[in-house]
Amino acid sequence: MSEPTLRTEGLTKRFGGLIAINNLSLSLAARRLHAIIGPNGAGKTTFFNLVSGLLQPSHGRVFFQGRDITGLKPHQISRLGIKRTLQIKSVFPQLTVAENLWITRQAGRGFLHPFRAATSDRQTRETVERTLAQIGLSSLAGRQASTLSYGDVALLEIAMAVISEPRLLLLDEPTCGMSPAETERTVSKIRELSRAVDIVIIEHDMEVVFEIADDITVMAQGAILACGSPTEIAADERVREAYLGRDEDEDYVEDAAHA
Amino acid sequence: MSAKAIERSLWALFAAFMIAVPWIIPALISSFWVSVIAEILIWSLLAASVNLLFGYVGLLSFGQALYFGFGMYGVAIGIQDLGLSFWPAFALGIVASMTMALVTGIFAVRLTWHYFAIITVVFSLIFYFLALTNKWLTGGDDGINFALPPTINIGGFNKSLTDPIFQYFFVLCTAALCFLLMHRLVGSPLGKAFLAIRDNDMRARLIGLNVYLLRLIAFVLSGFLAGVAGGLFAFFGRYASATYMFYHVSGEAVVWAIVGGAGTLLGPLIGTTLFIIVREIVSTHWEHHSLIVGTVAILAVMFAPKGMVGLWNDFISRIAERSGAPVGAVELRTEP
Repeated sequence: MSEPTLRTEGLTKRFGGLIAINNLSLSLAARRLHAIIGPNGAGKTTFFNLVSGLLQPSHGRVFFQGRDITGLKPHQISRLGIKRTLQIKSVFPQLTVAENLWITRQAGRGFLHPFRAATSDRQTRETVERTLAQIGLSSLAGRQASTLSYGDVALLEIAMAVISEPRLLLLDEPTCGMSPAETERTVSKIRELSRAVDIVIIEHDMEVVFEIADDITVMAQGAILACGSPTEIAADERVREAYLGRDEDEDYVEDAAHA
Repeated sequence: MSAKAIERSLWALFAAFMIAVPWIIPALISSFWVSVIAEILIWSLLAASVNLLFGYVGLLSFGQALYFGFGMYGVAIGIQDLGLSFWPAFALGIVASMTMALVTGIFAVRLTWHYFAIITVVFSLIFYFLALTNKWLTGGDDGINFALPPTINIGGFNKSLTDPIFQYFFVLCTAALCFLLMHRLVGSPLGKAFLAIRDNDMRARLIGLNVYLLRLIAFVLSGFLAGVAGGLFAFFGRYASATYMFYHVSGEAVVWAIVGGAGTLLGPLIGTTLFIIVREIVSTHWEHHSLIVGTVAILAVMFAPKGMVGLWNDFISRIAERSGAPVGAVELRTEP
C-alpha cells in the first residue's frame, strides 16, 4: 500500500484546560477525497490549524506523505504543497483578482525579485490567465477582491489554492454561507479538482459531504468517532447519536443510507 | 483628454519644473526657496521610508528618525572624526542606518500594529538619549559641525555642495533615484509580496510567504531611505545633531506620509511639500504653526483617508470612467 497523504500520531492540542484535539491518530490514504464532519466544537478546524502550522500541537506528530512536518512554520508547510482555505474567506482584499493569484503563484518560489517588473513575468501571467479561465473568474480579473460577491471570493480562494499546484488541499467549509447555485458550482469545482489532487474537506452540509466524499471521518470532542465510506457512516449508530437533535442533518444521513 | 494623457503631461510638467527650479524660483520669489525645495526633497525621503513600511507592508513606525539620525551621524562622524571623503562618508551613513534597522528590526518586526509602533518609538528614544549623553561622540544637542569635502574631484575638476545649484541638483538626483528605486520595488514580485502581507498576513503565510523575513527586508529598505535622507540632510546643513533623532521628527514624517497618501509613490513627497511650505510661510508670523499641522492631519484622516493622492486618484478614475476607457483585464497595477 502506498504512503498515506496525511497521517497523525497521538495528536493533542490543549488550550489551557480545554482539550480541543485529544490523542488523534488517523491516516488518510492518497488519491481519495476525505470529508471530516462532526458537531460544532469537535476540533475540525483546530485539526486543520495543526496540520497547516498555524497552531503547534501540545503532543503528537503530523506526517505528510511520510515526512514529519510537526513544528514547521506555516510558510514552510505551504511550500511542501499543503494549501488550505479558511472557514472565514480569506484573500488579499485590496489586490485585484489577478494579483491575488499572481502573488499566490509566486509565493512558493523562494526568491522574489526586488526590482524587475512583476508584469514582465510572462510565464506566471499566463498561468494566472489559465487558472482564471479554469475557475471561471476571467471576467473579474481586474476587480479588486474586496468588491467581489461572497461566492466569487470563495471561488477566488479555491483558485488561489489551485494555482499554487497543491499536493494536498485542505478546504474548511467551502460552501458555508453560499446560495444553492453557488454551492452547486463550488461542489463541481471541488469534484473536478479531486481528480488531480488529494483533498480533505470540512463540511457541515451533509448533502454535499455524501455527494462528493470517498471517505468520511466523524469527529466529536477532539477525537475520531467513526471512519468509513459514506454508506458505512450513514449506518453508524454512534454517528447518529452525535448528531442527535440535529434533525435536518439526520435526514440527509438517512437519505444517503437509502440512496 | 484621457486620464493617462493627463497624468503623462503632468509628469512632464513636474519634471521640467524640478529641473528649472534653480533659475525660475530666484527670479519669481527668492533663492531662499530653492533651498526650501531641496529640504522638501530630503525630508520626503524620510516620509517615503514611513510610507514603505506603512503604505506597502502595513507596519506603522514611529521611530524612523532613529535611522535618519544614524545617516546624519554616519556622514558627520565619517568626515569629522574618521577623515573620510564625500562618498565614503555618505556610504557610511547609509550602511549605519541600514545596520541599525537590521538590528532593531530583528526584534521590532516580530510585532505588529500598536506593539510595533511602540517598540519603534522605544528604540528611537533609547538612542536619542544615548546620543544626547555621549557628547564625546555625537556632540549632544550642539551636534557636530564639519567642513564639506568636495563631491567630485577628478583631475582639475572640482565640485562641492557649496555651489548652491550643484547642491540642488545633487539632492534632486538622489531623491529622484530613490523614488525610482521605490517605484521599481513596488511593481516587482517583492513589492507584490509586501502588499499581500499588508492586506492579510495570515493568508500570506498560508500561501508560503515568509512574513517575518519579508517584513525585516522592508524594514531594512526603509532604513535605507531614512539613511539617505539623513546623510543628505547632514551634507545640506554641514552638521549632525541628536535633536533630529527625537520622536517628534518621526511623528512629523508619519503625518506627511499619511496626509500625502500612504501606499502611493508620491504621497510622501506631496505631504512633505504641503507641510514644509506651510511651516516656512506661517512660522515667521506665528510660533504655533504645529497647530495647523495637527488640524490638517485630523481633517485628512477623517475626510481623505487615502491622503491627497487618494483624492487625486479618485478624480482621475472618475474621468477614466466617463471617457469609458477600457480597463486592462489582467493588468498588474503598480499602485493599489
